[in-house]
Amino acid sequence: MFLKVKNLVKNYSSEFPIIKDLSFSVKKGELISFLGESGSGKTTFLKCLAGLEKANSGLIELNDKILNDHKTFESPQKRKIGFVFQDYPLFPHLNLEKNITFNLKKKYEKNLDYILDLTGLKFLLERFPYELSGGEQQRACIARALIREPELLLLDEPFSNLDSTIKESMREEIYKIIKKTKTTTILVTHDINDALNISDRILIFKAGILQQYDNPVTMYCEPANCYCAEILGDMNKLFHKQDTYYVRPERVRVSNKKSKYKVHVEKCYFQGKEYKVKGKQNNEIWHFFSKNPLEENKTVYVDFGEKDLIYFDPVCKNFFK
Amino acid sequence: MLVILPVFILFFSFFSSGKETLFYLFDTVLLDYTLNTVYLIFLTSFFALIFGIFPAWVISNYSFKGRSFFDIALYLPLAIPSYIMGFTYIEILSFTGPIQTFVRLNFPSLSNILNQDYLQIEVLGIILGLALYPYVYTASRISFSMIGSNYINISRNLGLSNFHSFFKVVLPLSRPAIFSGLFLVIMEVLNEYGAVKYFGVNTYTTGIFRSWNSFGDVNGAIQLAFILLVVVLIFFLIERLSLKKSRFYYNKNTQLNIRYASSRIKSFFYWIICLIPFGLGFFIPFIFILNNSLDTFYLADLSKVINLTWNSVSVSSIASLIVIFFALFFLYVERISKSKINFYISNTISLGYALPGAVIALSLMIIFRDSLLVGTFGLLFFAYVIRFLAVGKSPIQSSLEKQPETIDDTGKNLGLGPLSLLQKVHLPINKFALISAFIVAFIDILKELPITLILRPFNFDTLATQTYEFAIEEMLSLSSIYSLIIIVLGSLMLLILKNYIDKQIDVSKS
Repeated sequence: MFLKVKNLVKNYSSEFPIIKDLSFSVKKGELISFLGESGSGKTTFLKCLAGLEKANSGLIELNDKILNDHKTFESPQKRKIGFVFQDYPLFPHLNLEKNITFNLKKKYEKNLDYILDLTGLKFLLERFPYELSGGEQQRACIARALIREPELLLLDEPFSNLDSTIKESMREEIYKIIKKTKTTTILVTHDINDALNISDRILIFKAGILQQYDNPVTMYCEPANCYCAEILGDMNKLFHKQDTYYVRPERVRVSNKKSKYKVHVEKCYFQGKEYKVKGKQNNEIWHFFSKNPLEENKTVYVDFGEKDLIYFDPVCKNFFK
Repeated sequence: MLVILPVFILFFSFFSSGKETLFYLFDTVLLDYTLNTVYLIFLTSFFALIFGIFPAWVISNYSFKGRSFFDIALYLPLAIPSYIMGFTYIEILSFTGPIQTFVRLNFPSLSNILNQDYLQIEVLGIILGLALYPYVYTASRISFSMIGSNYINISRNLGLSNFHSFFKVVLPLSRPAIFSGLFLVIMEVLNEYGAVKYFGVNTYTTGIFRSWNSFGDVNGAIQLAFILLVVVLIFFLIERLSLKKSRFYYNKNTQLNIRYASSRIKSFFYWIICLIPFGLGFFIPFIFILNNSLDTFYLADLSKVINLTWNSVSVSSIASLIVIFFALFFLYVERISKSKINFYISNTISLGYALPGAVIALSLMIIFRDSLLVGTFGLLFFAYVIRFLAVGKSPIQSSLEKQPETIDDTGKNLGLGPLSLLQKVHLPINKFALISAFIVAFIDILKELPITLILRPFNFDTLATQTYEFAIEEMLSLSSIYSLIIIVLGSLMLLILKNYIDKQIDVSKS
């Protein structure tokens, strides 16, 4: 494994550990999304990887080199890790070119043209940070990180400061750059679409421990617990064979025939390609999609396959509360 | 530790010296000193608030002819030391001064009314108010600009008139800022020596000098300095408590909605509001001193003028450099270490600004009285650092606070150690703040009197000490040339500072 994290613990006070025990590994060239709520310790974890925070205990190994364990602490200056921060901290006194080549070793200078081509910044070199748009600043930060050929790239919520119109194109662009340079990347985000769209694997982190770590399809269809299920999208609750089950809105079909499940339609939202319907099934709020508009305050029948049902331990919900 | 050394020494000396002097002070002068000091603080604060708040409001909110001129000019009284302001006004108002002479020649019947003794504490209060209002003006100007137009528009929408919006919304929101400006005014009054001495008003500072110089009573001076320190501490605590209570977290509104004066009368009214503090606080004393300097130019010893100018500029420059070096050192260590202890150390050393110059000088004299340091530049610079470290820290601190922590993290991630991070990132990013800090410290040290008077090397004079010595010997016109140079140098520095502050705002765009 290219990156190995084992039993990592980080706390500022022993009463409130931020990372209780984290173990996972990443293959070379993989793009991993690290998903968790705001304040769950995602950025702290990235800082531990980069050496900007010292972990209390645990092992971090990158490309067969130990960066952190009980007797080693490699300083951030010596780790070959690129870090793109959430607020795009370009140095305000330097133009774009000087920002990208800041403190750059001679051997990497040859990468400049390639990186500029890749990030589309070739014609903005003389501009100062305040003369760049949010997207350009973000690409500049990525260029600055990639030009040094990092073994690991850390992206801390890189799309959170962008408006929705450019967010999607930026996401695709960055995905292309990372894959083209075959850079192993950890993307920290709280946006499910970021994680589902571009990740090779997703890691869900809650209450200081790893909840699930798998590819996006498995994560979505076979969530390990109710927290993982809910964080990746809406869930409809139902009672089946004297137990509580859940089904994803995408699996629910509007049925022309009478079926076991009746939904009282409360609202029908037009979303371009189809309609998103909100209604009540057996006093539980349900969401699903319909190709045709459904009349509000009317009852419709819905259906789904038995294999689409997801079951969790009944204590799961209370546990995460 | 070295910076708060004077406080320890005074504390120690106060409790180790005999209590007879203290009782004697209680029985004789202490009540007089206290009442005078409190009354002077009240008067100065009142006038500083009047002269500071209203122009700041007008400049922040209205557009009228001369607005951009006044925006710079209203800071200029900072270039005139309060003792020079005091000496000058007394001469202007005196029997042989221009006002009484004019009235005597043109309106003889009124001349008796004007022929008064102006060396009164009330007159001193107004004069100090004129000299010190820029502290309140600056704080209010920034606060009013930050509050911007949204709150005013809301309150007008809710039915309040402009007048009521100002008193019910803007003033309460700006209270913390105005109070911190006022706190600086109060500290300056407690520190004031030259003007109070000239006016014959007995305050703690003059008492310290009198006990020590005239009566050779070191114990008395220590007791008074300690009491002054307690008074300073009380004001300091009041400031902190009041800030804690009334710190508002409002959304900064950068959209300033500057309104045009709706009529010529209103425009004239705004103009007058700005003209009064500028005219009385800078223009009139400056013209009078300029006129006196031209009249007595032939009497001036030019080589002495050049020599003293060089002394003042070199001492102020070197001391300012030392001040910003230490200010940067403390702030940077606090920033990169992120340790609470360093935070407290860095904040404790800022207390030096609240220590009156006379107190600092006296404590250092006590500590080093038997050493070779007395009468050396080393001790003088040390005292300046204690007194003006907070002045130097303030612009650097606010500039550093603007830089997010991720700037440091990025630097480290790109391979920089602490020193190269400082050299390659923080020094260039904060260069305008460093220059501003240098200028602010330079102006203060250029004007400084009590520390320089007590700790200067033998036979070493500066423009400030020479001005004071001529004035105290009633040779005011001879002091004009020295006053003029202080004012011109200070004004030039203030204009450069304003330019740098504007540039700093440009950089913060990023």
